[in-house]
Amino acid sequence: MNLQVLESQFWSLCLQGIALGFIYVLISLGYTMVYGVLRLINFANSEVFMVGTFATVVAQVGILQNETNSQSLHGFRLIYTLTFALIFSMLVCGFLGILVELVAYRRLRALGNNRLASLISAIAVSIVLLETIRIVTFSRPQTSPRLLDKWSFGEVAGANFRIDTVMVIVSGVIIFVLLDRFVTKTRLGKAIRAVSMSEEISKLMGINLNRVVSLTFFIGGLTTGAAAFFYTTVYETTQFNVGFNLGLAAFTTAVLGGIGNLRGAFYGGIFLGVLEQFASAILGSQWKSVTVFTVLVLVLLLKPNGIFGEAVQQTRT
Amino acid sequence: MNSKIQRSLAVVSAAALVFGVSAVSPAMASKHKTIYLAFQAPLTGPNALTGQDELTAAKFALSEYNATNPKVKVELVIADDQGLAEVAAVVAPGIASNKKIIGLIGPAFSGATQASLPAYKATGLPLISMSATRVSLTDRKAPVNGFPIFKRVVANDKFQGPALARYATKGIASPSVYLVDDKTAYGKGLADYTKPSVVKDAKLAGTDSVPENTSDYTSVVAKVKASGANVVIYCGYAPDAAKFVKALRDGGYTGIFAAGDGVLKATFPNNAGNTAAEGARLTAADVPFEDLATPAQMVAYTKLTGIKIPGSYVTSTYNATNIFLTCIKQGVTTRPGMQNCLTGGSFKGIAGDTIKFDRYGDIIGGAAVGAFTIKAGKITYLGVA
Repeated sequence: MNLQVLESQFWSLCLQGIALGFIYVLISLGYTMVYGVLRLINFANSEVFMVGTFATVVAQVGILQNETNSQSLHGFRLIYTLTFALIFSMLVCGFLGILVELVAYRRLRALGNNRLASLISAIAVSIVLLETIRIVTFSRPQTSPRLLDKWSFGEVAGANFRIDTVMVIVSGVIIFVLLDRFVTKTRLGKAIRAVSMSEEISKLMGINLNRVVSLTFFIGGLTTGAAAFFYTTVYETTQFNVGFNLGLAAFTTAVLGGIGNLRGAFYGGIFLGVLEQFASAILGSQWKSVTVFTVLVLVLLLKPNGIFGEAVQQTRT
Repeated sequence: MNSKIQRSLAVVSAAALVFGVSAVSPAMASKHKTIYLAFQAPLTGPNALTGQDELTAAKFALSEYNATNPKVKVELVIADDQGLAEVAAVVAPGIASNKKIIGLIGPAFSGATQASLPAYKATGLPLISMSATRVSLTDRKAPVNGFPIFKRVVANDKFQGPALARYATKGIASPSVYLVDDKTAYGKGLADYTKPSVVKDAKLAGTDSVPENTSDYTSVVAKVKASGANVVIYCGYAPDAAKFVKALRDGGYTGIFAAGDGVLKATFPNNAGNTAAEGARLTAADVPFEDLATPAQMVAYTKLTGIKIPGSYVTSTYNATNIFLTCIKQGVTTRPGMQNCLTGGSFKGIAGDTIKFDRYGDIIGGAAVGAFTIKAGKITYLGVA
């Protein structure tokens, strides 16, 4: 056990944990939105994330013609490039989400209520996406150029407020607040919540169920695409199997916070990010997963609906 | 789930190995007799580059041999184990059961080798690995060793570990080392043989085991900084090393980054970004092929493979292939004959060195460990570590 690291790195670990947590939050929104509406885990979401990381690289290198080893960008060019890559990744993942719903869920949903079949078809889509990207990229890691020079705002109590860390946290908050507002305040958001509460009554109220489900997958894809963009911008690399670990962490996030619950996913993600950092630092990285899943089991034993499952039930999508 | 698919694919590959050789057997009807050697390495998957580089060397050695119009032609049966033990365990029986194969070049990775050994031992197929460095493979006390069929032409981790520690701390006043492995059989094994030398010759600032395919290394960076280490030694593979060294540099670490042969890949500097990998110190039980081959050989190699700068373990694969070919030239046509030839024979490496194997399969006197660094984004050979 290494407690010495806390003396100089406590706040640094907190900050990095929160930044990592926001990436988890954004991916977990993809799981939680779909679960809220269909009561099904969208196992393809981790591969939607993976495709998003490649979409970011394609936007930066293929479309905007930046070299892999090009110099960092500045001013308008930087903002334009990052914004374009963010929107591109979000849209690719959003439309991929719709496609996943059409292929893996819609027909099975129309034929009956066999949840297991939908689960398996989602896993099948996940495998197709994973293997396709593996074949296309020859299993090689793809490097994203360092377009954003990683300068620092300054250090406070050992925590380095680097631009990419700050960007992830601030953008994560903005995206989450926008989504929360959308779900709670807008007409379409209310339709999503209505379907989440009762499909049958929603249909009787004139809500187009298929449209709402597609919209949910699209929005889940958008937040997952945003996570993919931030992941690629921070770590500057991706690989065909990147979705597995991140997807698992995001799924854990959703369960910890209370799956189907937007605010639960938010707090769960930050909690998990910080927990991972401290477990790795104090106990050693080899104990990270053991710690995280022990905590998950304990939480579920005490609160089967997740930490915030009951308290913020009103925000269920 | 994913491993199940990989296993299924491996079954298909294993079947292809058996029937593949049958399909080319009409060649045997010609006046030349054809003998088959197998080649096993990762040809797809994250570590495919290692196997693909090694395959070029095996093909080149064979092309040189077959160009002399020998009485016995030799052909390769190529098997992809993805460098994974679970895939190798399925691929190996396919090779082992094909009696036309009298020797195996490979497997490339230690875990895959260990998983393959039961099948090869059961059928007496002699093998020479070009890059499996795990000590236990030739340790007579180990529960699963390769005796009597396993041989290798690279230095094992018992030699590479101390060499890595020595090279990583070379020229550093008061070296303080943080040792990180990737929890794999290879990474943990190399770290175990590096650690005693670090403790003996430097200060061990700390250790950590970060699982393979980890994305976020910030907590390790925090620990490295808190420990005050000025040397970080990483025992793992290139894709993760690239992420780790980048996180270290972004986190403000300015000391030495060193790693073993798992990181010695041409893609490592590029994946690590423009400058993060610059100056990294790497060791490998390998010497660059272009430093040993004649100019004519290099021209022929490039013509055959399309590669101007050979990758890692090309030299050792070339040597391993030529050892088999030497035995075939001496009239060996069966597995037992090959086993006898390898056990008692004396062979010449491309460097002019004499290669003789001890009872458990290591080269007598040990193979050299090379020292490399990254200069201007390229891997540069410096000499023996």
